[in-house]
Formats: sequence, structure tokens, C-alpha cells
Amino acid sequence: MNNPIKTVVVVGGGTAGWLTAGQIAARHNQKITDPSSQPIVNVILIESPSIPSVGVGEGTWPTMRSTLIDLGISETDFIRECDASFKQGAKFAKWVDGSDDDFYYHPLVLPQGFAKGDMAAYWLANQARPSQNKSFSNSVCFQEAICEQGLAPKTIRTAEFSDVANYAYHLDAGKFSAFLKKHCLEKLGVTYISDDVTGANSADNGDICSVITKNNGNICGDLFVDCTGFSSLLLAKHYQIPFVDCSDVLFIDSALAVQIPYPDDQSAIASHTISTAQEAGWIWDIGLPSRRGVGHVYSSRHTTEEKAKQALADYVGKKVESLTFKKIPIRSGHREKFWHKNCVAVGLSAGFLEPLEASALVLVELSARMISEQLPANREVMDIVAQRFNETFLYRWDKIIDFLKLHYILSKRSDNAFWTENRDPQTIPQSLQDLMKLWRYRSPADLDFTSNNEVFPAASYQYVLYGMGFKSKYEDFSPSLNNWAFAEQQFAQNKKMTEQAIANLPSNRDLINKIKQYGFSSM
Amino acid sequence: MTNLVAIDNKIHKNVRIDNKKAELHGAELHMIPVVLSEFSNLAVQYPIVLTKNGDTGQFTCIAMLGFKPHENLFWQNGQWQGLYLPLQIQRQPFFVGNVDVENSVEGVKSQQIVCVDFDSPTVVENCHDKTQGEPLFTGDGVETEFFQQAKTKIAQLLQGEVTNQHFIDNLKSLDLLQPLSVQISFVNQEKTRLNGLYTIDKEKLAALSEANVYALHQSGFLEAIYTMIASLGQIYALIDKKNKQIEEK
Repeated sequence: MNNPIKTVVVVGGGTAGWLTAGQIAARHNQKITDPSSQPIVNVILIESPSIPSVGVGEGTWPTMRSTLIDLGISETDFIRECDASFKQGAKFAKWVDGSDDDFYYHPLVLPQGFAKGDMAAYWLANQARPSQNKSFSNSVCFQEAICEQGLAPKTIRTAEFSDVANYAYHLDAGKFSAFLKKHCLEKLGVTYISDDVTGANSADNGDICSVITKNNGNICGDLFVDCTGFSSLLLAKHYQIPFVDCSDVLFIDSALAVQIPYPDDQSAIASHTISTAQEAGWIWDIGLPSRRGVGHVYSSRHTTEEKAKQALADYVGKKVESLTFKKIPIRSGHREKFWHKNCVAVGLSAGFLEPLEASALVLVELSARMISEQLPANREVMDIVAQRFNETFLYRWDKIIDFLKLHYILSKRSDNAFWTENRDPQTIPQSLQDLMKLWRYRSPADLDFTSNNEVFPAASYQYVLYGMGFKSKYEDFSPSLNNWAFAEQQFAQNKKMTEQAIANLPSNRDLINKIKQYGFSSM
Repeated sequence: MTNLVAIDNKIHKNVRIDNKKAELHGAELHMIPVVLSEFSNLAVQYPIVLTKNGDTGQFTCIAMLGFKPHENLFWQNGQWQGLYLPLQIQRQPFFVGNVDVENSVEGVKSQQIVCVDFDSPTVVENCHDKTQGEPLFTGDGVETEFFQQAKTKIAQLLQGEVTNQHFIDNLKSLDLLQPLSVQISFVNQEKTRLNGLYTIDKEKLAALSEANVYALHQSGFLEAIYTMIASLGQIYALIDKKNKQIEEK
């Protein structure tokens, strides 16, 4: 039981496998700082040469910046080699009533004055005045204006990973995997085995003692990370950990993805994810430097594949026959637990909900970081870490489910039962129903999200709620409105910052070109 | 605005350059690009630091002239009040342009030629008053000594850009740069924070290996590094200039 954890075996490449292997190696293998040192923990990654990765995860969170820093990756290299561009949040079009001017933003910059006062209250109070009809996000955040003009979140003078406006990335998942692989092998000392894993051998205590490969025999390890995608080879197949189905809350069960070339190589690159609601789902639109990735996620209970294809073709302005669709089935849910015995699942093997709000990659990052930071010293303490890991991530999955569902319940669309059923309280988790009741009288605040393991901040809930036209009734709860001087100052400050940002920031395309030509400085 | 025209000894035989007006080009500059070969001249009065080129984000060496855009504290009473005029000002109105020259042996080749900015206030065109400025050519179409000196300055700048790049690459690879963060209060309580400026990290410089120090010395960069460090003291002189200007108003 006191065997130290010396060897971690990651089964599966893809972004989940390489990010996890990289995080563990970067922290527990001194090779980065001292190439002559012996690794404290040996990380082995086994990748199947025959199973392709799903590879449509193209949106990240700002957390990806710290992940790349942890791994010792240069932002310039990352942007050049992963066909990456900047993402400053999401624009939700046609989610409220489906009309042409129906849209709102969920930007990544917190509302102006968020830490000091409840700006949502003042903004709501202002709505009573006809002259004050600016959207919530435009009133308290300068990022919507930047996005609407296709501007980048920084300039070529800004140091790598620093920003003028908070940002995440859009990237080519396939290229990102290959890039991480190269980095893990060349810089982080990860051992690589290209082989198919066919099963696992058990020890007396029920642990996995080794995984069975087709050509390399049994690969032994102390901890096994299951990054085998939807097949969940170790956690689901070997250990039979049950699946918690969430399709009663989140109805999306199918995705159709296409890649769309730009008219020319200098076309504008959108600086945000565009999410456009459809009759029975929604379409994502992600701008990379070399192409757009567009996909339609829908509920097959509410529409047919044929209609979904047609909607996607209409969106991109092409004929159905001219498009090559990649179809990905989605089973919305997650495993009952993620770390069992000496096996932990990261990525699709742990679960998947739907692409809304790009929660898949961030869960991979959070999992990889927690495994790396809390890597058990020996087998004896592993069960304690496993329990913490399971509690932490069950909480996070629940919170993400609540937040994703929030986008659907505030819609007024009724063009399909997809939308009306989404608003049926029976499909809404009790935890979200409770929050919605509280928020009738005040806006979402940090006090609603007090765990150390929160995923979405209260600000995100504010952007979605007030973006979708929700009204909190402050007249019954006036203490929030006791400092108008402060509020006016914040509104004015936001106006000033918006003007400055628009005057000084280059276009997204411009900055990408300059990064390719010159690169960022490290300071 | 600049209006660059390639110099021709026939077309421009009557053009004269009034060098004294070159400093007008710097009247509203708060920083000016400088090259290593003039560091020791500059350090007597100007703080020498690095900043990033707005267009490329690449580091570039500059001398500080003021604390905010359009503020040149060395510009007083319509004149540059400094012991040494930076090369970038001295060189006015001359620039180097590239033209494609066709040659029967080598085909089309890019060649550097000297141009004059005809929008520059230094240019005195077709003037019969022979007391103002200096001609570029003698009556026979031969380059004057003045013109040759001007070309020497241009050459010094061109060479300087190459050396500067080598210098900056060294500072970057040895990780010797650090942001310069200074909060300044002037006599009228006005405060300013210097942003986007970089200088030598003295601690990292002190920790350099013997081999690295020797290599810097061999390339002449060690002297430049210490000149930059010493020149930082001129920020106080610059604050003093600004305070005097405020008090005079």
C-alpha cells in the first residue's frame, strides 16, 4: 500500500491525453529545468494508431493560457502551429425569440465595477428610462464592442499570454493534439507507445496492474488515466462504472460538423464564438485563421438529420450536396464517478454534455491540473485523493449542467417542442430552479457560488440572464440601489474603455498576421 | 508626411538643404529611435531605454525626450536645447529607398539609393539666395562635401539598425530585459506612470556566467549595457526640465 506512484500510464492521445500527460510530466519531471535529471514520475502515453480522435473541440476558456504556461509552451508557437485565433466570448443569436436582431453576448471580461457593486441592479433600474436602452453587456463591458468590430483582445506589443481584454482561443483540435504530442515528447520527457490497448489486467486488490497492448505486451503502471474518448475503455468497460444520463435536462444528442473555407486568406476572423439557435438545437461558428469550423447540434427527438443538414447548409449559404458532414453522436451525461481504484478518466471518457460554452476542454484542463497537483505520493493515499477528485468533479458537472440549461429556459421560442419542453420545470434541475427564484429579487452574485470549485462565475450568469431579457425586481429589494454616483462612474468608465479599445486594438486577422511574422515578446 | 524623391544631380542641382532646420522634425517627438554607436553621446543628457515598435511589437532602442506623446522637453523657444542631436534628427531630410535596377549581367536587382524628403522644412528648392543652406552638387554635378557627410550619417544609421538588432537579440536570449516601471509626480501634483518601457535587469546582469560576460564584452555590447544603465539617471534631469517648464507657465 505504500508503493510510491512512479509510473503514470495515459491511455489515449487526443487533447485530453496529451494535456494530462503534459501537466503531470511538467510538474513531476524535472527535465524542463535540468535535462540530465531522472524523472521522479515516469509518464507513458499509449496512443492507438488506428482510432482517430473526435477532434471537434475547437473552443477553449481563458484557462488555456495558464495551462499552456504550465506546460512551458510559447504562445507564438501555439498560435502559429495550431491554427489558433483569439476568442473573446460568445455571441448568442436568435436564442430569445428567433428574430433577426435577437442577440446577446457572453463576454469574458467581468462587468465594470463587478467586485465593488451590483451593476446589474443599476442597469435594470435604468431600463425604465427610454433613453437608456443599451444592452447589459454593452453597458458594463467593453468587449461586445470589440467583438462586433472583429478586433483582437491585444496588440503585437502586448507580452505573450497578457491581454488588453480577457481572451481564450479557437484552435484546430487535430493540430493542437499533434503540437502537444511533439512538446510532450521533446520537452517534457513523456514516453510514447503507439499501440492499441485491448484490455486491462487486475491485481488482487482490484487495481489495474497493467494494460494489455496488441504489440507491446503488458504495460505496467501505478496510476492509469483513461483518455480513450467515448469508448471509456478502462472506467466504463473494465470497471463498469455506470453512466449518469442527462438527456432529460439537455436534449442535444447529435452533431453535424463541416469546415468552411474563407473567401480569401485575408478575410476577417470573428473574435468570438457565434452560436445561433435553430428550430431544434443551435449552430456553432468558430473562426480559425485558415477556415471556419461550423456545426449543428440538435435533438433527434425533435428534428430529422435531413432537416438538420438543410439548416446547416442554409446557415453557411451552400447546397447540402456540396458539404462533407462529419456526424458525431452525443450522449449527454457523465460517469457516476471519475476516479475508481487506480484509474481516473479525463475527457470524453468521463463524460460530455454538449458543446455550448466550451465546457469540454476546460474540464480536461481542470482534471489534468488536479491530478497533477494532487498526485498521490503512494497507493495508500490514493483513495483519499480519488474521493476528493470525485466530489470536486461531480460538483462541477452539476454546475455546468445548470449553467447550460439556463441558456434554454429563458428562451421565448416556440417554433418546436424542443424549446417548450426545455422550459418545462420537470426538465430543469431543482438547483437551477432555486437560483432562478432567488434571482427574481436580486442579481446573481458571488454569494451564490461559494465553493472553491466553481466553474462559471456569477458574472456569467448575469450576462446570460440579462442578455436574454430576464428581469429581477429590484423595487422589492432596494438596498442594491443606494449609490448611483458609483454606478454612473462605472458606466462612464466603461464608455471610455470601449472608445479606447476600439481606437487602439488591431483586427483579429491583423494581429494573427503579425504574430506569424514577428511573434510576441515574453514581456 | 514624407514625400521621398530619389536624388539626381541634374534635376536637383539647384536644391539646397538648410541643415539648421533639421531639428524641426523632432519638435513634437517624445521618444526617438537611437543606435548603439551614439549611446555614449546620448547618455550625457537622454535616458536610453527600449520600447516596442507599435507596428511589429519588436523591441527597439530609444532616447526619451518627454513623458507623453508630442512632448519634447528638449524643444524650447523653437530650438533643440541639447548638447547632442540624435542621428535620426541629424539625418533629415535624407532617407534610403530601394529601387529595382536592371542590369544586363545580373538582371533586375534591388539597389539602395539616397532620397530626400521634399516635404521637409530643410529643403530650399530652386532658390537663388545662395546664403541659405548647402547645395548637394557642385556646378559640375559632383557631390558636395555636405552631401557626402549626409550619406555617411545615413550609412551609420543603416549599420546601426543591424547592430541594434544583434544587441537586442543578445539581451533577449540572455534574458536581460525587465519592464521599467516608474511613477512620477511633478511639481503641480500631476502624476504619470511610465508604461511600455524596458531596461536592463541589473540582477540578471550580475548573475551572468563568465563566458557570457566575455562574449558581451567582445561584441562591444557590455559597454552599451552599462551606458544604458547609467543613462537612466537622466530621467531625473528630464523630470527637472518638466518641472521648470510647469513653473514657467
